[in-house]
Amino acid sequence: MTHGKSRDPDICCIRTPHPSLLAAWLKTPAWRGRPLILGGHVHERSDVVAVSAEARAQGVVEGMSLNRAQQFAPDAMIEPVDQEATARVRQSFLATLHRLTPDLAAAPEPGCAFLRLDRLTLRWPDRARLLAAITRTIEEVIGSAPALGVASSMFVSTVAASHATPGRPVVVEPDQTRAYLARFPIDTLPLDDDLREYLELLGVRTIGRLQTISRQAFRRQFGLKALDVYDLAIGIDRRRLQPWRPPVRIEASEPLEPPVDNTQALQFIARALAEQVSTSLLAQGLGTRAVRIVLNQEAAPVLAVEVRYAYPVTTATELFDGIRPRLLRASIIAPLERITLRAGRLEPAYIRQPGLLIRRDGFQESIADAVARLQEEYGAPVVQRAEVRSDAAPLPDHRILWKPA
Amino acid sequence: MPDRLQQAITVLQTRFGSAAPRPAAPPCAARPSGIAEIDALTGIGGWPVGRLSLLAGPRGSGKRTLAQRSLAAASREGPVAYVDFPSRLDPEFLSRIDARLDRLLVVRPKSLREGMASIRVLARAGVDLIGIDLPRARAAGLDAELPHLLHRIAEADCTLLLIHDADADDAIRYYASLILSFQRRAWVFSRGGDLEGLEVDAAVVKNRLAPPGRTERWVVPYPHGKSRDPDIP
Repeated sequence: MTHGKSRDPDICCIRTPHPSLLAAWLKTPAWRGRPLILGGHVHERSDVVAVSAEARAQGVVEGMSLNRAQQFAPDAMIEPVDQEATARVRQSFLATLHRLTPDLAAAPEPGCAFLRLDRLTLRWPDRARLLAAITRTIEEVIGSAPALGVASSMFVSTVAASHATPGRPVVVEPDQTRAYLARFPIDTLPLDDDLREYLELLGVRTIGRLQTISRQAFRRQFGLKALDVYDLAIGIDRRRLQPWRPPVRIEASEPLEPPVDNTQALQFIARALAEQVSTSLLAQGLGTRAVRIVLNQEAAPVLAVEVRYAYPVTTATELFDGIRPRLLRASIIAPLERITLRAGRLEPAYIRQPGLLIRRDGFQESIADAVARLQEEYGAPVVQRAEVRSDAAPLPDHRILWKPA
Repeated sequence: MPDRLQQAITVLQTRFGSAAPRPAAPPCAARPSGIAEIDALTGIGGWPVGRLSLLAGPRGSGKRTLAQRSLAAASREGPVAYVDFPSRLDPEFLSRIDARLDRLLVVRPKSLREGMASIRVLARAGVDLIGIDLPRARAAGLDAELPHLLHRIAEADCTLLLIHDADADDAIRYYASLILSFQRRAWVFSRGGDLEGLEVDAAVVKNRLAPPGRTERWVVPYPHGKSRDPDIP
């Protein structure tokens, strides 16, 4: 839908499959290409949350009851939604886009986001290359190519993205907006039931038909509130892009009343705080590379201890493994009134944990990561590998080569 | 278990429910040790997974040699680690018994705490078997570290072999699920006078998973010698 150039459209809507579907595919790649319904177990009385294209082709849609969905697609797999993995996918998606440009807004629909392209055009003056770069970046992270729609407003770009296919973006030039929208049914607009009913009674079934009504006549008939819908129909979207910002730090704190001077109790509390921090990190798909332990002492200066990790860690066990030795070594001279854990240097967990979204991983670091962490903590020689050199001198010390793992 | 005994137990379970006889030992997965005699001694077919096994005995009783043979066998299946407090590990010996040295991580910690932290981290990362060579002189404070360590290895399904002096501390004896005590009976020489191996007596001092008290005697061959027993590799 690319036409003559009058003014560059500047909002790109990026639409991916539902994050729960992406999470399910990342966990079990064999499910890709098969009819898949997410929402719960078959025997549960819950609704469909996400559905693959193959199941959708059989008539299953979001919001339908699982029982009904099974009747429509008897061969489809019905699985529960992994909420944590879904959150991680969504966070990874947004964080990746944020690294492209800070002009990013998260759409209310899952798997959808908006980018302002103004700054990106400085880096990629050619629009086709820019859109290809966005597609490639997203595909590397979530394993699926997104559908892109580019237009001068959020609404039109959303409509364009919903009619685009992966690898074939739809670009709507500003002067073509009205004509582009005219072909779509009025259901494309965010109508309430009453307004839809009125419009249908009047025989207005497409946006193009609605565009033929004058603004004043529409206001007289449907009131001031409905004018927002009319504006959308003629391509005017007054909503502003609400910038999405990645979290900078996650903090958990616990006042200690009465003050604690027992190391065991302190470890117990620190463990509980690590679990709180871990829950927040997991929910946002993040890992932390540094945790600051702040210990408020009774009638003594505040003590701060820094724990650093070789890679972004997420789970409470990993966090506490770093925190515990520092806590035991801290020079605490008075009972503690408060303990605070502050997780900083937050990064998407997938950067150093590519297996985060793979089953049985994400909660288990690889042996290479474990060795790297031990070597960072205790020095390189702590973990070694041995090699026997049969061609070396007869002295055993010469025949055996020790090197850091 | 004989069929008739099993039938009798089933009848009792039907009649008396939870009051019926049940196995004294909980079911536990085992990792083959690579030595048929040890697999038979333990009663479960190898070293228990997710638990601590203690190899005790005086110097020269063969406990380290046997642990290294188990390590070699496990390295052929997956990643293994050896926490070498006294720096006595001989990679050449391991390579002669077909250990996969590329799958072996050797940890040489400066302190007990450092060693225990390394074991916890490696166990959780997926190392299958960890051998710990811990002399009595370096074991001070082990009783405080063991509960935390055992919890972690149970979670990670890692097998822990502790090589320790004969008179193991009470704490280790308490926490170990399996204790094998070794005694050297004789050195075995070839007719030409070369050392071929050693004859050991092994006894199960403690076993939480099968009846204890079993004993066995066999020759542990050295890699360059030949075993009297054709079953021993």
